[in-house]
Amino acid sequence: MSVVDPAAKAGSASPAGAVRPSTAGPSHGSTAAGMRGHAWGALRREWIKLLFQRRSYLIWGGAFLIPFLISLALYLAKSDPHGGEGPLFFERITSNGMFVTLASLSALIPFLLPMAAAMVAGYMIAGEAELGTLRIVLLRPTRRGSFLLAKWTMAMVYLAVGFAIMIAGGLLFGGIFFGLHPMITLSGSTVGVGQGLGLIGLSCLYALAAMACIVSLSLFFSTLTDSSLTALIATIVIYIVITVLIQFSYFDWLRPWMFPHYLLEFTNFFRDPIHWRPILKGLGVFALWSGVLTFAAYLVFRRKDVLS
Amino acid sequence: MSSEAEGARPEQQSCGGRAPILTTHALTKQFGTLRAVDGLDMEVCKGDIFGFLGPNGAGKTTVIRLVLGLIHPTSGYAEVCGHRVPGQLQDALRHVGGFVDDPTFYPLMSARRNLRLLGSMTGPVSEERIDEVLEIVALSDRAEDRVGGFSHGMKQRLGIAQALLHSPELIVLDEPTSGLDPRGMKDVRELIRELGAAGTTVFLSSHLLHEVEQVCTRAVILNRGRIVVQGPVSELRPQNEAVKVLTGDQGRAAEVLRDQFGAGGVIEDESFLVVQADEAAVPEMIRRLVAGDIEVRAVVPAPEQGLEDFFLELTGADAAGEPQRRKRRAGLARLLPGGRR
Repeated sequence: MSVVDPAAKAGSASPAGAVRPSTAGPSHGSTAAGMRGHAWGALRREWIKLLFQRRSYLIWGGAFLIPFLISLALYLAKSDPHGGEGPLFFERITSNGMFVTLASLSALIPFLLPMAAAMVAGYMIAGEAELGTLRIVLLRPTRRGSFLLAKWTMAMVYLAVGFAIMIAGGLLFGGIFFGLHPMITLSGSTVGVGQGLGLIGLSCLYALAAMACIVSLSLFFSTLTDSSLTALIATIVIYIVITVLIQFSYFDWLRPWMFPHYLLEFTNFFRDPIHWRPILKGLGVFALWSGVLTFAAYLVFRRKDVLS
Repeated sequence: MSSEAEGARPEQQSCGGRAPILTTHALTKQFGTLRAVDGLDMEVCKGDIFGFLGPNGAGKTTVIRLVLGLIHPTSGYAEVCGHRVPGQLQDALRHVGGFVDDPTFYPLMSARRNLRLLGSMTGPVSEERIDEVLEIVALSDRAEDRVGGFSHGMKQRLGIAQALLHSPELIVLDEPTSGLDPRGMKDVRELIRELGAAGTTVFLSSHLLHEVEQVCTRAVILNRGRIVVQGPVSELRPQNEAVKVLTGDQGRAAEVLRDQFGAGGVIEDESFLVVQADEAAVPEMIRRLVAGDIEVRAVVPAPEQGLEDFFLELTGADAAGEPQRRKRRAGLARLLPGGRR
C-alpha cells in the first residue's frame, strides 16, 4: 500500500507519497466482522501484558521458592528434638513430602497470597492508568465491561499459575527431601498418592476461590484510583481490618459473612469423609463477595472518566 | 468565519455537500465547579484537515476525550462517523484512530509487539500492515526494540503508527509534533497533509498557530471551553484592509480623510494615519488630499494582523498575561544587581 522513499529509510518520517491509508482494504484488518473483539483475544492480550511485567515472575518465583525453603528448613531441623511449632501440616512434612504443598498453602494463605492477589488485581486498571496505557487501550473499540472481565479473569489465571507452580515446587522438593508417600488424613485414615494429589488440587482450587474475593476487592479499588499502590494498600487494609474484627467475640454475628473466616476450611478436604458443609459455605461466601465487588467495580469503571 | 468576538454565538458550520464526520451538539463537561467545555457545537467535515486551536487549559484535550469516549459529558453529545458518543462508542471507535496527550505504550514490549497488541483490539492486523505503518513513521529499524528506550519523539511517531493501523476514516491527533525536532515536525506535518490528500479526515489539536496555518483546511479556536471562532483557515486571519498615510500636515489630512471614511475609519498611529480603506479607495483619497493642498508623502499598506495577534486577541491571552509579565519583570529587577535599591 505505501511506498517509502529513501528519505524515510534514512530515518525521517513520512516522505511525500508515503501513505494512502484510507485506501487500505480489509486485508489490514478493518472489516466490521473482524473488528469485533473476541473474549479469547482479550484474554490473550492480558496474558501477554502479564508476561511483560517483571513483578509477575517475582511472585511466581516466590511460589516456587517457598516450598523449597520450607523443605530445606524442616530437613535441616529434622534431627532437632526441640523443633518448634509451625503452621498446619508442618509436623507431618518430615514423614511425607506430600505435605510440603499443603504446609506452603497454610503458610501463605493468611497474608502473602492475599498480598499477591491484591497486587496483581490492583495493577490491572490503576496500573494501566498510571502508565498511561489505559487511555490508548480504551481508544480501541472494546467494551469496558468485557475489558474489566478479561482483567479479572487474567488476575485469576495468574494466581492459578502461581498455585500450579507452588504445587509443582512442593511435590518436587517434598519428594527430594522427604519422599512422596500415601497421606494420613486428619481423621487418621490413609489415602494413596493419587488421591492425595487430587485433594491437594482441590485445596488449591478452594484457596484460589478465596483469592477471588481479594482480586475483586482490589479490582474495585483499582477502578477508583489511578495508583496501583493505593489500590493494593486499600485492599490489604480492608482485609486486615476484617481479619482483626472477626477475632473479637463482639463481632460473632458478622463472622459467617466475612470471607477471611473461611480461608483455612480447605483442611476439611483432609478429613474422612470430607466435611463438605464448611467448604460449600466458604465457597458461597467467596462467590457473594466476589460477585458483589466485581459488579461494583464494573459500575464504577463503566462511568469512569479516564483522565490519566 | 464566525466569531464570538464579533458579538454573536459561533454558528454551526455547514459542510457544503460533504458529509460531517464529527459533530458535537451542545457538548458540556463540568469538573466540580469548573466548566471545562461549555455547550460546544462544532462540525468537522469528511476530508477536512481540521485544526483545533486554543491556549493551554482551553479545554482541547477534554473535548478530544469527550469525543473519543474517555470521559462522559455532563450534557450534550458527539457524533463520530454517524455514531453517537457515548451511546454507540464502540461503533464510532471502529472508524477512528489517534491518541490523546502523549502516546504511551508498554515499555517492556517492542514497538512491533505494542502495535500487534493494540491493533488486535480493533481487528486482526497483518504483520505486513505493521511493517507498513512502521515504515511510514520511519521506525522500521527500531521495530524490535523495547519502547521503554524510545525518545519522546519516537513515541510520538509510534503513536501515529498505531493510529494508522486499521486505516481509520478519522484520525485524531493531540499535539502530535510536541517534542519533535524540526525535521520530525516537518515530516509529521507532511504526513498529515498526505493523509488529508488520501481522503482521511484529520483532527489536529495544536497550540502552534503556524502549524495549523500550514497544514489545516478548517479550524476552530477554543478558549475556556467555548468556541471563539471557526471556519476555513484562509479566513481565520482577519482581512486587514488598511493603508498608512504620511502627509505634510497630518492634522488637516486627518480631517479630510474623516470626511471621506468617517471618524472611526482614521486612526492616528505615531507619525502615520491608519485609514481603514481598500486599495480601490486610495486614488480618491489622494485626489482629496491634493485638492486640499496637503502634501502626500507616502501611502503604504498597513501590515496585516498576524494570526498570532488575532489568536491572542480572541483568547484574551495577551491581556491576561500582562499582570503576570509585570510581576515577572519586577521579580527579575529585584534579582538583578542593584535591583533592591
